[in-house]
Amino acid sequence: MKILVCIKQVPQKDTPLKLNEYGTWIREDVSYEVNEPDAFALEEALRQKEKHGGEVVAITAGPARSQQVLREALAKGADRAIHLEDNAFVGLDAFNTARAFAAAIKDEQFDLIFTGLQSDDYGYAQTGVILAELLGWPHATIIMQIEKTDAGIRVKRELEAGYFQFVDIPLPAVLTIQSGINKLRYATLIGIKQAKNKPMRKVSFDDVKGAVTGNLQKIERLYIPEKTKNTEYMEGTPSEIAKKLVDKLRNEVHVL
Amino acid sequence: MIFRKPLENIEHPEMPADVVIVGGGPAGMACALRLSQLIDQHNAQNPDSQLNKENVYVLEKARELGQHCLSGALLDPRSMRKLLPGFEKEAPLDAEVAKESVYFLTEKGKLKFPITPPALRDHGNYVISLNRFVKWLGGKVEEAGITVFTGFAGSELLVDGNRVTGVRTDDKGVDKQNQPKSNFEPGYDLNAKIVILAEGPRGSLTKQLIAKFDLAKDRNPQTYGQGIKELWEVPAGRIAAGEVIYTMGWPLTSKEYGGAWIYGGKDNVVSLGFVTGLDYPDPRLDPQHVLQDFKRHPFVAKLLEGGKMIRYGAKSLPYGGWWAIPPLAGDGWMIIGDSAGFLNSQRLKGIHLAIKSGMLAAETAFEALKSSDFSAVKLGDFQKRVESSWIKEELWKVRNFHQGFEHGFWRGMFHAGLQQLTGGRGMRNRYPATSGYQRMKRLADLPADGGGEAHLLGPAKGDGKLTFTKLTDLYHSGTKHEEDQPSHLIIQNTDICNSRCIKEFGSPCQNFCPANVYEMVDDAEQPHGKRISLNPSNCVHCKTCDIQDPYQIITWVPPEGGGGPNYDGM
Repeated sequence: MKILVCIKQVPQKDTPLKLNEYGTWIREDVSYEVNEPDAFALEEALRQKEKHGGEVVAITAGPARSQQVLREALAKGADRAIHLEDNAFVGLDAFNTARAFAAAIKDEQFDLIFTGLQSDDYGYAQTGVILAELLGWPHATIIMQIEKTDAGIRVKRELEAGYFQFVDIPLPAVLTIQSGINKLRYATLIGIKQAKNKPMRKVSFDDVKGAVTGNLQKIERLYIPEKTKNTEYMEGTPSEIAKKLVDKLRNEVHVL
Repeated sequence: MIFRKPLENIEHPEMPADVVIVGGGPAGMACALRLSQLIDQHNAQNPDSQLNKENVYVLEKARELGQHCLSGALLDPRSMRKLLPGFEKEAPLDAEVAKESVYFLTEKGKLKFPITPPALRDHGNYVISLNRFVKWLGGKVEEAGITVFTGFAGSELLVDGNRVTGVRTDDKGVDKQNQPKSNFEPGYDLNAKIVILAEGPRGSLTKQLIAKFDLAKDRNPQTYGQGIKELWEVPAGRIAAGEVIYTMGWPLTSKEYGGAWIYGGKDNVVSLGFVTGLDYPDPRLDPQHVLQDFKRHPFVAKLLEGGKMIRYGAKSLPYGGWWAIPPLAGDGWMIIGDSAGFLNSQRLKGIHLAIKSGMLAAETAFEALKSSDFSAVKLGDFQKRVESSWIKEELWKVRNFHQGFEHGFWRGMFHAGLQQLTGGRGMRNRYPATSGYQRMKRLADLPADGGGEAHLLGPAKGDGKLTFTKLTDLYHSGTKHEEDQPSHLIIQNTDICNSRCIKEFGSPCQNFCPANVYEMVDDAEQPHGKRISLNPSNCVHCKTCDIQDPYQIITWVPPEGGGGPNYDGM
């Protein structure tokens, strides 16, 4: 199986963030890391390759710093990488990122494309699904398990409230992978060293410009929520208080 | 409590190496870059006898370069100008120092020194973020084709007889019970011709090496300070970029050694911090508390008012000076930077020395590679290079500086003045030193209410605006570790903590640790009703516990590589 894994570089979790001067995104002087669900997607791709043979290719879009996530993928065992390298990719919405990816891989024949379920920064959970649409492939989201069948693959999807769904899908297909599907491996010294000599194809913004349009989604304003606290005391007997509390939760806070 | 220890019956994959540099700070990076330059030059001139950079490696325990680098910081550009001429044009420098002043603080007042003492004159130096600077320098190293393994710690020295033969990296995927997990990866044995230790202050491999070959013999014991730093964003106009302020005095009394810095960076960011000498007498003293008290001084509070604390960190620094530096090289090894103790305690600067020592070690390693001779004699050239360089010149003049303060601030000032007049000699050529932990007094010998030190003792309260509790501060250090791993803080015998230390010293680990790693929790079965408990995930890798515990039973070893603080912008 030939598998493409889409990996995004995101600001490191727990990093104190500062807003940029326009209040539209964060300042970039932070540490970055591999988007967590994408790390699970890569691991799953490597495991599928170990079982069924084939090739794992990692792809990302972003400025030079984002090459780091591809280096990590290569160090863990991906065979080659594709880097859509330009600052212009940073501000793209999910639709245009998917279009750029589709254009960059138009000459490749993948059996599967994995993405993480969503990104830790924007959290759109759309890029993978839109990419499937653009390619005209079937897709399935929130994948917890993948098995190869004669006709294609059978996947396990996570639904609400502990339910799962099993779906048979023909190949090629796009899957968005849920965190926790597997246990991540560590990169090894020899893996890191070998990664230096693995092929990395660079794609410039100009190469895919024809496929990209103006953003359909735009962040108007980003702000840090102001902390507010409101304490109310309820009086009465325990059963009266319980009644009042239920009334409040149902009719005012709307959580019941 | 399960402590980290090497797993038994594990096969360690091996990798050959020419040079392994342990630690990707300013010393290690300068060393790697200089070595690469020399090899490139050599290869350009000698097409028939090429040297290979392929097997020169840097190990760095942080997940990314620079994340464990913490300093004020001021950079004396002397060594950088040699390493990369014209570096000022592209390196991330906040500002050139334009104005400096020194104050002596009393609780509410301040006395400005009429002239800035020569050692604290900083014109021509740069305010930098060491984190950003090392990231940038590391980029140069990687561009030069040297492999930097980030997220890998050196966990053991490989030794054969009198020769250091390599470094073993940390085992990954070991659980809390010290058992391999399903994704276990054993550490690699990097079999190296030369190992260069650049681990920063109190390096864990350096400690192994010093113990193994008795390198502290005939030297002064190394003494340390603990620097606590906060980065603030303040309203415009409070302090100019490039303005430098040093203070002495309050909140410390004449019995403790230390002082504060305030540096104006760009974008209204202020670096401020307090270095407390780890040779204070009262075990209840808490250096993080000292910084909080310092900020409450009207002079400082006014500067910070309306501002926001954005980062926190802590790191030890070696104060001991020339007489505390161990032998610098032997069969297969060299020691550089803070691991060796290259820091000028009078100028409070070490980055330029770290860089210079790295460059000299690189030149030595290059000659050794050319002649395939890695013996103590050959690598001993490094010692000679240091002694004939300006490193020695600079450190010789202040060789007795910190020792002069062992008996308090006022006597220290007397000795410092005398040393200034006598080229560093003072009363005699070599002042002795005492390990800081030995200067800690027992509670029975101290006033129960703390006496004149009362305001410094115990945990800081924190108002959430100007002053902070340790946990609030810690949150701003960005510290993160894999939770499911054994404790990397190894206590040889916890009975001492629970039965003796608690009574004799009042468990000072809770106070000197700047990250709330050490806690005494209720336990009715213990003789004093409490037992030691550890939160290793909080650790900011400052090494203070290894240095300052009065029984010397704590050993800091690297946790799983990739864990630790994240000193972005620090």
